[in-house]
Amino acid sequence: MSGPLAGIRVLDFCWIGAGALVTKAMGEAGAEIIRVESRSHPDNLRLTPPFRPGTEGLEASGYFASRNPDKKSFALNMSKPEAREIALELASNVDAVTSNFRPGIMEKWGLSYPEIKAVNEDVIYLVMPMQGNDGPHSSFIGFGSTIAALGGLVSLSGEPGRTPVGTGTHYPDHVPNPGHGLVAVLAALFQRAKTGKGQAIELSQFESTVNVIGSAILAGSAGFSVEAVGNRKPGVVPRGTFRTSDDRWVAISCSRDEHWLRLQEEMASDGVDSQNPMTTSSEREARRDEVNEVVAKWVAGLSSEIVAHRLARVGVPSGLVNTSADVLEDPRLAEREFWHTIEHPVIGELPMFRLPFVTAAGRTSMTRPPLLGEHTWEIASEVLGMSSEEYDRLTTAEVLY
Amino acid sequence: MSDGHLPLAGVRVLDLTDRLGWYTGRLLALLGAEVLRIEDPNKPQEAPLPPAVDVNGRTVSFHEEYAHSGKVISMLDLASEEGSSALADLVESTDVLLSGLDGRAPGGWAEINPGLVHIVITAFGWAHTPHDDEIDDLLILAAGGLLHLGGYPDSGPIVPYGGQSYLAAGIYAASAAMFGLIQVEHEGSGYWADVSAQETMAQALEDSLPGYVLTGKIRPPEGAEGKEAGTGTYACADGYVSMVAGRLGTARAWAALVDWLTSECDEATELVNDEWSDFAYRQTSEANARFRQIFEAFASTRSKETLYLDAQRRMIALSPVSDVSDLLANAQLRHRGFFSEYDHPILHRVVTAPGPPFRFADVELPVLGPAVEIETAAFSDRGST
Repeated sequence: MSGPLAGIRVLDFCWIGAGALVTKAMGEAGAEIIRVESRSHPDNLRLTPPFRPGTEGLEASGYFASRNPDKKSFALNMSKPEAREIALELASNVDAVTSNFRPGIMEKWGLSYPEIKAVNEDVIYLVMPMQGNDGPHSSFIGFGSTIAALGGLVSLSGEPGRTPVGTGTHYPDHVPNPGHGLVAVLAALFQRAKTGKGQAIELSQFESTVNVIGSAILAGSAGFSVEAVGNRKPGVVPRGTFRTSDDRWVAISCSRDEHWLRLQEEMASDGVDSQNPMTTSSEREARRDEVNEVVAKWVAGLSSEIVAHRLARVGVPSGLVNTSADVLEDPRLAEREFWHTIEHPVIGELPMFRLPFVTAAGRTSMTRPPLLGEHTWEIASEVLGMSSEEYDRLTTAEVLY
Repeated sequence: MSDGHLPLAGVRVLDLTDRLGWYTGRLLALLGAEVLRIEDPNKPQEAPLPPAVDVNGRTVSFHEEYAHSGKVISMLDLASEEGSSALADLVESTDVLLSGLDGRAPGGWAEINPGLVHIVITAFGWAHTPHDDEIDDLLILAAGGLLHLGGYPDSGPIVPYGGQSYLAAGIYAASAAMFGLIQVEHEGSGYWADVSAQETMAQALEDSLPGYVLTGKIRPPEGAEGKEAGTGTYACADGYVSMVAGRLGTARAWAALVDWLTSECDEATELVNDEWSDFAYRQTSEANARFRQIFEAFASTRSKETLYLDAQRRMIALSPVSDVSDLLANAQLRHRGFFSEYDHPILHRVVTAPGPPFRFADVELPVLGPAVEIETAAFSDRGST
């Protein structure tokens, strides 16, 4: 492998969401990721849709696949007593150990930080418990969507007076928590490269999520009102999403007066008279609903293709609200090779997203997501030096399973 | 094990970014880097990012204050000869340079500093971002596909709070800076990365992308309703709660939920009927709507805090939809000493700030306060390092 993490090996117990994305990014940067998983208690994502029609089972999930390219799969059944020795032996041969369980799981398996450190003095050990390792709510459970709610992002996102909506996704699992976790692990790897010393890192997914509404904490604590405002932004009118005649949405954001003047002129060419000039943003702000209504009516009479083209031509900041189909066709993403299509023996062709930046080295190659246990023998023999007899015995005993 | 040094102690970061990269410097400062931000007094002022307030003729943007916390800020007239020469000196002596659309292209400082880590942060990537306009968060989310999954099915997509595409670009730019520092540490040569905020959003589309590719279906926005009984946002006595119970992997939570509701609410007894144990039935709009009626009737006399604690005791993934005051009072965050306070230099009020998104076992990360302005743009003396 090449990349800034070439030569780095990770023993990865992460599953489902946030944790899996940390190690996906590390794999793309050249690290060897050894994903520990088992048929006895498979990652829920392996059984989660979407599936290509007609396929099923532990290898068929497109959702699992999207988070797990550039990883190797080592089948190890942690409920078997013999598994611990194998995990510890692996841990003594890696640079980092990662997990995102509730507090107590790694400890139950005898794989706590002190226990791993005893066999690997300078290991980097990342945990990502939902609410941190300690405290009255440390055993609480949740998913990305409930963490977004708990962390304040949901209450602040929506139309005033309506049920708040957040992002409509498990956002903390996809951006703040893997992103912050990745930054922390890389900082520890950098420090280790300089000093030779390891580190234990704890990322509370709750605390990490509160960091992406940090500005609201500052404002609210100082006594200023902080609430959901929909698509409104002071001084920017119109700003919002407008439905086109073909039932698509276009986003428009006139942050400067000239943007509005261009939009007004374009609407006027279709005979839309926006009545008063409302040249300044404060004039428009005072009559925001009226401005939005005029724009909404104009957009509603045009197809998405036409409205997008016309707004772009005259320089009104705008864009189609891209669907999952559109992003695959987006020319910017395509030119930057953001999508990489892998060929998977069960799923077939599937585009994977890459890291959100390109470097001088260009995009690296990508290996498809592993089948469960696909690399067990390779790792057992090459990393652990295991004999084939021992491997057969442990497989039959459902330890390597 | 550790000598207690911060991971980025001794690392210099020069911050020339626009709002897409502000948060990067904050994260690097948290990790111990010295972050010097240069602002050009002659550059046209952008409208302050919300939340912002006007007090005594001065505008305080909490977004900016938060993103710049932990930095040192200095003014430099970059159009002047002295200014541009001072900048070149700073670039020569920094380890990491963060810049945006009005800076140089990725790698454009290599002649002056061959070992530089240069991170360029723009909306759509250096070559694809129009240089004449600032790009609004709303438009980045629209381009990245995340906007389409949010908002209300009837009234359209709604941008989430707080400039999420700016923060996401900031986080991943920080990871790029770390990759760069690691590579430079090993190989000595420089590194650059060209970060696209659009791409940070396009990696957050969860199952919708493979869903489209594998089934041809475009995932519609779910709104606040959720797509099945047991999962969604529900009204209660003093606000809302958010729950995930009953979908794959949480089958036991559904049983616990039924048990809870039926033990405390007569109207819920129908949930023990056979059809409700079938996940496919719970995904029907009829079941989803009926469950909402039952649960919201139950929740209407209970606070979000009561529901939270009762549900968690039963291993049901339910959380309050917290507002800022809930967060400031949250028992878990208080127990963990998450918040810190500072006296606001302009507002003359006490402001509470969130703690770091991660913690290191052997070293306490610094408590960040508002950026400090200094007269002369210079890094501190790092002595023998």
